Amino acid sequence: MIFIGAEEIISPLGQNMEENFLSVYENRSGISLIPHAGFNDESIHLSKIAGIPNYNKFEFLIIDILEKVLKQVDPSIVLSKKTIVIISSTKGDLDRNISNPFADSITAFVKYFELANEPIVVSNACISGVLAINAAGNFIKSGLYDHAIVLGCDVISDFVLYGFQSLFAVSAKPCAPFDVDRDGITLGEGCSAVVLSSSKEIFQKSSFQLLTGTSANDANHISGPSRTGEGLFRSVKKTLEQNHIDGNEIDFISAHGTATVFNDEMEAIAFERLEINEKPLNSLKGYFGHTLGAAGVIETAISLQMMRNNLLVKSLGYKESGTSKTLNIATENKSSELNTILKTASGFGGCNASLVIRKI
Amino acid sequence: MSFITVCCHINENSCFVNGETVLHKNEESPDSWFKQLYKELGIEYPKFYKMDMLSQGGFIGSEFIKRAKPDLISKYKDDEIALLFANSKSSADTDIRFKESFLEKKTPSPSLFVYTLPNIVLGEISIRNKWFGENMFAILPKFTPDFFVQYGTILLNTGSKAMLAGWLGISEGRVQVFMFLVETENTNGEKFDAENILKYSGL
Repeated sequence: MIFIGAEEIISPLGQNMEENFLSVYENRSGISLIPHAGFNDESIHLSKIAGIPNYNKFEFLIIDILEKVLKQVDPSIVLSKKTIVIISSTKGDLDRNISNPFADSITAFVKYFELANEPIVVSNACISGVLAINAAGNFIKSGLYDHAIVLGCDVISDFVLYGFQSLFAVSAKPCAPFDVDRDGITLGEGCSAVVLSSSKEIFQKSSFQLLTGTSANDANHISGPSRTGEGLFRSVKKTLEQNHIDGNEIDFISAHGTATVFNDEMEAIAFERLEINEKPLNSLKGYFGHTLGAAGVIETAISLQMMRNNLLVKSLGYKESGTSKTLNIATENKSSELNTILKTASGFGGCNASLVIRKI
Repeated sequence: MSFITVCCHINENSCFVNGETVLHKNEESPDSWFKQLYKELGIEYPKFYKMDMLSQGGFIGSEFIKRAKPDLISKYKDDEIALLFANSKSSADTDIRFKESFLEKKTPSPSLFVYTLPNIVLGEISIRNKWFGENMFAILPKFTPDFFVQYGTILLNTGSKAMLAGWLGISEGRVQVFMFLVETENTNGEKFDAENILKYSGL
């Protein structure tokens, strides 16, 4: 069995897991209007972390989060040859060295913790986080490693913001996933971690079972989601089949829900094709914004917290159905026995990924 | 047991398939090196011209591998071929060009921005071949045969029957492309292990 736990988050909503979950529980958003942040001085809604230095922010965050994680597990695992660190990120430390956006910060990170193995960076657009957790689970399952620490991190830069502006993909208001009035993403930044292990003894608190999932490409378009949800459909179908899970066993779906018109529609179609569209579902982008490579890890961490607290968290920003297929979106917090959670992600390049987590 | 059945190298002026030269760069040609290779393939795929160099490099490598292995598409189901790619500098060349578009040209270019993710090449290859399989793009400090063997073996044990793998070192005018096909059902090749990858790669 693969155990997963020791989740941590640093985001605009808090400096640690407890603060972040409290904010989410209280339905507070990290999104605010940042004056002159965008291209041509446009004011833009962002979910931006205040109070940390801009200098080498990426390095600061990945070190800070691992320090926090090591207080929740047997700290000796960090030095072990049987531990692999997997970092999920789209742009790393782009503002520090655009020609080599990961080298400096990862070198400093390895040195700081005296890691035995070189970390692997998974850079696969917005599925990076879910893909990294699946990769970590697979490494443990294969026996190559006993433990894996997955860190997801992306920081806001002019580069990424101007890019999404150039695609007319940035929402004029805080993003509203799956809502009829949704009009694009709100960018966010954050860092999150989970630990995976073949042993539950390393965790100080309880842990969960990871049922590793799969990825699938849409084979359709590099920057637009499939109209049929094909890749997401295939990824979830394979994930459920490989783990011998029936769709009916899923208690909750932590969806990707970026709040672009086409992405959310694509997800609704895929979930309907999978016949799981009646399952309670949320998108956490209304709380954290879209944190790109960190999103899958942040959303998995919140899912674990939801299971710990048996609390289904409201999908912030959603008011009225805005997809052609009906979804069961959480419009308020609700106590609910959550035993099996499906996490999905989709991204540029036509990629999709999914995983399942179970209460032990 | 899995086997490396085809490999393709592209550097700044030559392209080899299974160690045999396919094309040398014609310095007199008005076409870019990658365009010369595209023409050598003799295919009609106008989308090629929209791609950045990272995607063009991966695309060309995948097409040469298919040419050496014509049954690749028919032999496997559309989700049985995994793509596992890596490099050390992500999409740095295109990132620099996109940054220039907003800093110097004062207009962020959406057509450049969509290529500022290294995994876009996986999407391009998937679209070209209608492949719906596993995808991963990793950033590693240097070419690491162990990574390909370790994660490749996992992919081949969890539903994929073949894997198209590649190291796409394309930045600052340097071209260091090494792509290879690993198959579980075809024993006509060298054993898929780190030693053979290192030997074939020449890196």
